[in-house]
Amino acid sequence: MEDDEVETKATTNGAPKRRSSAKEMAAKQKEISVSEFFAKNRHLLGFDNPRKALLTTVKEAVDNSLDACEEAGILPEIWVHIEQTAESKYKVGIQDNGPGIVKKQIPLIFGKLLYGSKFHRLRQSRGQQGIGISAAGMYGVQTTGKPVKIISRISAKQPAHYYEIQIDTKKNEPRILNGGGDGVDIPPGDKGAAAIQKHGIEWIDQPHGTRVTIELEAKFVRGRGSVGEYLQQTAIANPHVTLHYLDPEQYQYDYERSTDKLPPEPKEIKPHPYGVELGRLAAMLEESDSQSISEFLKTKFSRVTGPISQKLCKDASISARANIHKLSRADAEKLYAAIQKTKIAPPATDCICPIGEELILKGLHQVVPGEFYAAATRPPAVYRGNPFVIEVGLAYGGTAPTQNITKELLTELLEETDARTVRQFLINTFNGLGPEAADKIVKTSGLGTRSSPSKLKPKERDKLFEAMKGVNVAEGQSMEVMRYANRVPLQFQQGACAVTQTILGTNWRSYGLSQSRGSLPKGPVSVMVHMASVWVPFTSESKEAIASYPEIQKEIRLGLQAVGRKLGMFLNKRLRAKQQTDRREIFLRYLKEVSTAVSDINGAERAALYDQLVKVAKKVTADADVKLDDRGRKIKTDELDLGENVLIVDPVTHAAAINRVERVEEES
Amino acid sequence: MAKKPSISTKTKSAPVVLTPRDKKTLSNITQLADGVVKAAAARRDPYVDIPSRTLANVHYSARKRILEMGNGKNRRQLFDLSQAKAYMRTMLVGSGCKKLIDQGKSTSLRGLFYMLKHTIEGSKENTFDEQGECDTIIEDVEVLLDSIREELHLYAENRGAMVGAITFTDKGDEINCARMGSGGYAIPSICEPDVIEFDPKKCKAKFILHVEKGTVWQRFNEDRFWEKHNCILTHGSGQPPRGVRRMLYRLHNELKLPLYCVLDNDPWGYYIYSVIKQGSINLAFESQRMAIPEAKYLGLRSIDYDRCELSDSVKIALNDTDRKRAKQVAKYPWFEKKAPWQREIKKMLDNDFKLEVESLISKDISYVTEVYVPERLEAQDWLD
Repeated sequence: MEDDEVETKATTNGAPKRRSSAKEMAAKQKEISVSEFFAKNRHLLGFDNPRKALLTTVKEAVDNSLDACEEAGILPEIWVHIEQTAESKYKVGIQDNGPGIVKKQIPLIFGKLLYGSKFHRLRQSRGQQGIGISAAGMYGVQTTGKPVKIISRISAKQPAHYYEIQIDTKKNEPRILNGGGDGVDIPPGDKGAAAIQKHGIEWIDQPHGTRVTIELEAKFVRGRGSVGEYLQQTAIANPHVTLHYLDPEQYQYDYERSTDKLPPEPKEIKPHPYGVELGRLAAMLEESDSQSISEFLKTKFSRVTGPISQKLCKDASISARANIHKLSRADAEKLYAAIQKTKIAPPATDCICPIGEELILKGLHQVVPGEFYAAATRPPAVYRGNPFVIEVGLAYGGTAPTQNITKELLTELLEETDARTVRQFLINTFNGLGPEAADKIVKTSGLGTRSSPSKLKPKERDKLFEAMKGVNVAEGQSMEVMRYANRVPLQFQQGACAVTQTILGTNWRSYGLSQSRGSLPKGPVSVMVHMASVWVPFTSESKEAIASYPEIQKEIRLGLQAVGRKLGMFLNKRLRAKQQTDRREIFLRYLKEVSTAVSDINGAERAALYDQLVKVAKKVTADADVKLDDRGRKIKTDELDLGENVLIVDPVTHAAAINRVERVEEES
Repeated sequence: MAKKPSISTKTKSAPVVLTPRDKKTLSNITQLADGVVKAAAARRDPYVDIPSRTLANVHYSARKRILEMGNGKNRRQLFDLSQAKAYMRTMLVGSGCKKLIDQGKSTSLRGLFYMLKHTIEGSKENTFDEQGECDTIIEDVEVLLDSIREELHLYAENRGAMVGAITFTDKGDEINCARMGSGGYAIPSICEPDVIEFDPKKCKAKFILHVEKGTVWQRFNEDRFWEKHNCILTHGSGQPPRGVRRMLYRLHNELKLPLYCVLDNDPWGYYIYSVIKQGSINLAFESQRMAIPEAKYLGLRSIDYDRCELSDSVKIALNDTDRKRAKQVAKYPWFEKKAPWQREIKKMLDNDFKLEVESLISKDISYVTEVYVPERLEAQDWLD
């Protein structure tokens, strides 16, 4: 009807001629495979640019490995190896000591988008959708033409399987290239070693585990948003993991696990009625087997008891015994409205596995140089029917990365950077280095503001190196924020994240840090915020930022305040101690002058007089320590009572304060 | 730098003869240092008690009609954060003065400042940053040792000048103040009898006229006022320095010359008169040697605007500090009970403007020398 009308109108009114008819158009309309869609929209998955593609690939593989190991109850050990193969091509190999994958699943897991075990379960895990690793493989195939190589072994006695796979974007199906479309079996023992050699497979010999190798167009960087940063942050939030990372410049980083305890296995839970939207409810009603409505509510949801299901049915004016397949759309809507109105107990929270305050401290201490650490794990809370736990860790002090660096590493960093100015180079390369501190370094070094980092002459490099060592960057340095969702570091879209927003909204001045309005606090502080939940609400598919639900923000704020208060006490105490030392120093400074003057006048022995005066100074300042306060009461000796879950270390002897690359080499 | 050793050898070769005054001062300084050694040996906190140079510790002696310093003292401790530096500076000044006395030399306040100024070992802090910091410590040491600046071999920059019908000797040189041209004799900062010797026979002047500023003094000198009226003419560049005050004191007391002051009609002028007459709070310990209770205030008066029929244009409006200061001055014990002074100050406040001596020039260039001052002297019209 409509078509006809339009046609007549068009001809009579002299409107543009129709270009195509509905029938012709119908011929062009066809199903789009998920793989095809993502091939064209790869930015949605974190493959926007070569730099990010490299990170996303490593990230997806490592996340999958960790999930697999933990699910199988194995202490994870992971090897990440990045190697440059051509100008902008890199080969990424990630191996774990996980349970391995059975033969027939390998092609599906790595060669089919949206294939996995996690999506349908409501359980705390790192990955959620099962897009990641296969998308990385698809990206690799698209940009380099090289297949994804997987080798997996499930036990020492059984053969390992070796596959070379390409994803068929049209059909969303894996295409196996080697072994005549069936992969290659590698026997256990020495024979296997020979076979591995023959096929040119990279494999660190393990009784079980999986290694995936993807070659892709990428760009290797250091600093913010880099693979190194991701692995470092992963090591912090996963103190039970050992990570080995060999970067393209042959720098080896090893993060040893600081605990042998696996996090408890997260339980799978049924959805809570509050967390289910109308569409999902309708879908569940349709998908479920034929049963009564009250039975459906009781079995498919958590926290719905008999009386509550009765009440829900009554409120929705549906018979409790009605079959769910007989319910109309209107009934579903009524049921949904009834759920919102009814008070239902919050979901069980034992399905959440937080890292724990003790392990957060261990993880931070192992990786972040500092002198004061505090951690807080909040009690579980609920947003939209999903239970979650917020954890906050804080590290304060220590030497800045700019002061840790060796000259050789600086030279290499300068050569490889793509930053156009030295200032930009400094900000990009060193975590937590604010623009102000960078400006200060550049100014001290006396280099031109526009000099290009890669074109610095040796003398200029020396100057820059000296300046980096000499400038106290802690002044202009702003807080480093590490965000985690289910132990996975979030590295992008910092501004959009509930964590960042809450940190900005917290008044850090009352905890002894300086902070200008609407910006991160200043100082050598690192804060990690971890959200553990069965379902972390991300703002977008690339899983970079946590959505700002008021319940979540409240928990984050309380966690930040808990560690902030402890930091405040620590800083306050330190400030007082410093004032005391300053007092003594002032006296000591003048004593030499006084004794010189006195000996000039009456010929007294200068050195002896000075020594005597120093003794008096010590006595006097010791007395001052127990001075009375304004009201004449003795001021309490400042025993620092920070409660539990605080770690104070001497920054000078802190292992992580020493240049990390060197330290690792010593250990390995 | 290269010259330094040669100087020291020179001083060694010529032994210094110490005067009895020097010996007394030296023993005072040494006592100060001995106190530190004693305290340190006894593990006690060394301190010095410095007579307080504040308004609270100054009282007006109605009998002597001068300001006198009370017995109040401020304890300055080495081991007190707010006093440590001042204590150190006190000792530095002591050692600097000892050096000067030992070598038989004297230096300016600024010279001592440079002598003692250096960076404290192991810090970026200087012993002194500005001369003002050093000057106050010197005043402290003066009261502490009960030795005046001259005895510490220190002098200030020459300020103030004099001309007039008098001849005296200054370090053996004969100074005839009637032959000083347009510049006058610069009054030195040390006017003690061992430097300046008067001979009553060589003084023909009958009184002293002290004016506030050099510019006004120029007017009087150019008009040969001192010749016509047979007097001595001095000025003190505003607040008269100690040298000028000491000179006036000695002229007044030793040669029995009355002193008349011509100052601006503002609270500052009143205060200058008050300092000449009664002494200053800061230097109350020197009042005995400097204050001239018989000094008279000749002008300018608040009534002069009407009396001399001055034009509107010469008025300068009082500001808040002026008004505050005037009320303070009115409350000084030596003004408080004098009705003419109370009227004078009240009149100025009512006028709500002040007058400078130069304002008389609006009548005639030489009005002040030919009419104003002679008329006042003739009529004996002054404030006491």
